[in-house]
Amino acid sequence: VNAAALADGTRRAIAYWPGWKRLPREARDTMFLLAVIAWIVLPHAPHLPAWSLSLSAAVLLWRGRLALINGALPGRWVLIGVLVVAIGLTFWSYRTLLGKEPGVTLAVALMALKTLELRARRDAFVVFFLGFFIILTHFLYSQSMPVAIAMLVSVWGLLTALVLAHMPVGQPSLAQASGLAARTALLGAPVMVLLFVLFPRMGPLWGVPQDGVSKTGLSNTMKMGSMTEVASDDSVAMRIRFDGPVPPPAQMYFRGPVLTHFDGIEWTPIGLPFASPSIPSRAPALETSGTPLSYEATLEPLRLASVPLLEATTDIAPVDGYRIVARDDLQWLAERPVFERLRVQAIASTTFVLGAPRRPGELQDSLELPVGFNPRTLAWARAFREERRGASASGLAEALLRHIRKQGFSYTLSPGDYGRNAVDEFWFDRKEGFCEHFAAAFVVIMRAAGVPARIVTGYQGTDLPPVDGYYVVRQSSAHAWAEFWQAGTGWVRADPTGAVAPDRIGRSARLAPPPGFVAGTLDAMNPLLFAELRSTWEAFSNRWNRWVLNYSRGQQLDVLKQIGFATPTWEDLGVLLIGSLSALALAGAIWAWLDRHRVDPWVRQLERMKRALVRVGVPAAPHEPPRALATRVRATLGSAGEPLAALLDALEARRYGRAAAKRPDPAMTRDFTSAARRLRTLTPR
Amino acid sequence: VIARALTAPWNVRAHVRAWLTARLPRTDTQLLTQGNVYILPTRAGWMFALTLVVLLLASVNYQLNLGYVLTFLLAGSGVVSMHITHGTLRGLTLRLRPVAPAFSGGTAVLDVVMSSPSSARFGIGLRLLEAPASTLAWTNVAAGGQATAHVSFVPPRRGLHDVPTLSAESRFPLGLFRAWTVWRPVARLLVYPAVEVDAPALPAARPVSGATLEARRSVGGQIEGVRAYRRGDPLKLIAWKKAAQAIETGAELVSRDTSTSARQELWLDWAACGRLAPEQRLSRLAAWTLAADRADTAYGLRLPGIEIEPGDGDAQRAHCLEALALWSLATPGEHR
Repeated sequence: VNAAALADGTRRAIAYWPGWKRLPREARDTMFLLAVIAWIVLPHAPHLPAWSLSLSAAVLLWRGRLALINGALPGRWVLIGVLVVAIGLTFWSYRTLLGKEPGVTLAVALMALKTLELRARRDAFVVFFLGFFIILTHFLYSQSMPVAIAMLVSVWGLLTALVLAHMPVGQPSLAQASGLAARTALLGAPVMVLLFVLFPRMGPLWGVPQDGVSKTGLSNTMKMGSMTEVASDDSVAMRIRFDGPVPPPAQMYFRGPVLTHFDGIEWTPIGLPFASPSIPSRAPALETSGTPLSYEATLEPLRLASVPLLEATTDIAPVDGYRIVARDDLQWLAERPVFERLRVQAIASTTFVLGAPRRPGELQDSLELPVGFNPRTLAWARAFREERRGASASGLAEALLRHIRKQGFSYTLSPGDYGRNAVDEFWFDRKEGFCEHFAAAFVVIMRAAGVPARIVTGYQGTDLPPVDGYYVVRQSSAHAWAEFWQAGTGWVRADPTGAVAPDRIGRSARLAPPPGFVAGTLDAMNPLLFAELRSTWEAFSNRWNRWVLNYSRGQQLDVLKQIGFATPTWEDLGVLLIGSLSALALAGAIWAWLDRHRVDPWVRQLERMKRALVRVGVPAAPHEPPRALATRVRATLGSAGEPLAALLDALEARRYGRAAAKRPDPAMTRDFTSAARRLRTLTPR
Repeated sequence: VIARALTAPWNVRAHVRAWLTARLPRTDTQLLTQGNVYILPTRAGWMFALTLVVLLLASVNYQLNLGYVLTFLLAGSGVVSMHITHGTLRGLTLRLRPVAPAFSGGTAVLDVVMSSPSSARFGIGLRLLEAPASTLAWTNVAAGGQATAHVSFVPPRRGLHDVPTLSAESRFPLGLFRAWTVWRPVARLLVYPAVEVDAPALPAARPVSGATLEARRSVGGQIEGVRAYRRGDPLKLIAWKKAAQAIETGAELVSRDTSTSARQELWLDWAACGRLAPEQRLSRLAAWTLAADRADTAYGLRLPGIEIEPGDGDAQRAHCLEALALWSLATPGEHR
């Protein structure tokens, strides 16, 4: 019934729609703006609560209907009422009005409502500027190329609507207005490129945006399934060069955020996710043995304060611009997220013991489990513990890993969605997943068995041994493993993924994600074409990452080096930016100044002829056309003036006659002035 | 303008404005150049700048490189729009068509021809400098073409006035900047007295002597011949068939020369207006002039110190109305 009603409604709406060209100007412009707004809001659909989407859709459709039937806009009180409801619903959805999601929700509601108030020009501008702002908020979720293209279209649409609003006469076509908007934006593109390349990149001005940016690498939280994206991302996370001996790949664990707190759905760290300069950090109780390894790591921007370094890095050289310190959970943390490429010189030992807890309650936190989640697993873990009464924590861990190996668990990158009791589902029903499923199940069971345990995220493994000495760690090497507390020893690493997919650990070959539908079809049809497309896309994508997403201060200085600065600094950047902007402004001013002497060439020609006429004694008023001048020349100069009169007649014909030319003939002016000069010398006055 | 500024000496803005306006040379054909086109950001422009700052701060704080791209793209478009806005007026030629006289309290219309030697221009608004922005008359000018804008206003009182200062402006394409120019045409506007509403009927006409009547009748008001075109001849009097030929040969236009039948003649007399105030008498005389013109009778006008011989047609009408407009104004044009 619903589908039928919908189809019927659509049919009626289509029958009602007169087409862009038939709409009256006002209605067409409004419909166009509404379409642009819908296009801007639509990509937010996955992040917005359902009521917000329905409200925006309802308001936009209502406004569209009003535009079509030329109805009256609702009164102010209706709008205020709806706005209050929207604010209330936002608060109800998020329990706050501050932050990213509530902000986006409110902005979308505000823009939709503002369309109901498009009366004065000022209202229209509010919509435009809110639109630009909402476009920006998309980048908080994704900065991928499709999003960029969609938003470019949005900007184009908004500029077109702005241009339309400033063409008050007649019915300019959408194509014309969008052409003018595109021209404006294209002419502005050099300014954009200049500013983008040279505008000095700096750290966040205030606050530490934790929730802000969508990340392609590690994050500070872990949900079941949140890591699939990382696992299929082949971009480089870091490059490592060892100065001396190289540890075996199986030992290469790069330690990132340590996740202790579990609310049943999500794993989060305890403590600040960055090294607050005001709180002295507790150094880890670390005992190392064996020869220390010296290495250099070049980390791509991870947008995290956590710096994933080799386990266990004992010391690092100071890094320009950041204060990076080790914390008691063996994480290396900067005081703010790192948005640029970092180069770190460090010393590490791969054989180490992370000893006594430095923070009171650390072990207690590592035992807590949320109430009401995964009941089957908890019961199973208690039974498992009962069976092994008296076993040490290490003994339990061994037994658990053995269980994983024996019970038909399998490693896959696309395990599908897990429900509320994800660990139950994983442990008993589906038995397939990737590192984070294994690590999470391991930690939950250990905790239920009374052993403090926690999840460690980071990277594991590198590409094949390199030729140039740099080991490449890719985003697809992102990994999650577990640590449990062995009384008398300290924290012990356990990697349950290794129990089921030993390949995953210590090898460079990784499981490739299964190809998508399109890729699969293409591959079946023409493997070569697919490979070529893929490599082209990857090259393009790499360039996009390098020049747009990860363009930071380091790259800026590289650019300066390329254009000839030997040792570029931040100040050089500023000077260059201001210099080139001034040069551009000066060029614009000079162009406009030269332009002021521009006179219609026809007028200029006639004026020169008139001056020549006045010199031979024939008065010429500013308003007189060539025809009138010719008559006067014939009358005052007689046959002597005939050449001049003939030229004037020719000018008249050239400009106004049947075969009028587009431009004046400069030869005519020359002939005229020389004829006038001859006349003057012949008959001195 | 000047008078008002002088009556309010504390109004510095008006003073400066009046002084600036008075400095402008008067001309009926104004070429807009770098020198006489001004440009400033609009309120929306400042709002746009504020939006850009907010976008830039968000980009810096959230480290969004695409945010930078968006901000700088908009900034670049804004800068370009400034040049386009200025270029919309620059190079344009404004020309005032001969101004038709108007009645006081009626509507005076100024026809301004805008011609663009180069590209097409959109959204050019024209208004009196003193008038509110809502009175803007909008025009587009095609590339290399011309367009006419009509600015109408209500002239204050009778007399020969300077055409008020005009202002042309544009906010095209994005509305972030407003470019404008101020233009003082040299032309003058003749304002007839206000026409009295519900004026009494025309005074009685008196027949003229028989001889004149006979002479006029013999020609029956038909064409007697042609004469050279005189400025002010109505279009219907121009001999159009001959005109084409005349233009071809470079000769002047010719008009039909008619004698009109004048069986009766009518005197519109200042003294016949009863005991009205002078301005009201002028209004009544203006109303009578129009009525007599419509009635197609010959009429003359008597004002203290002025007597216009009976006649009819457009020229007579214009002559009489002009006399009414200028009567007892010592130096026309003082009353601005």
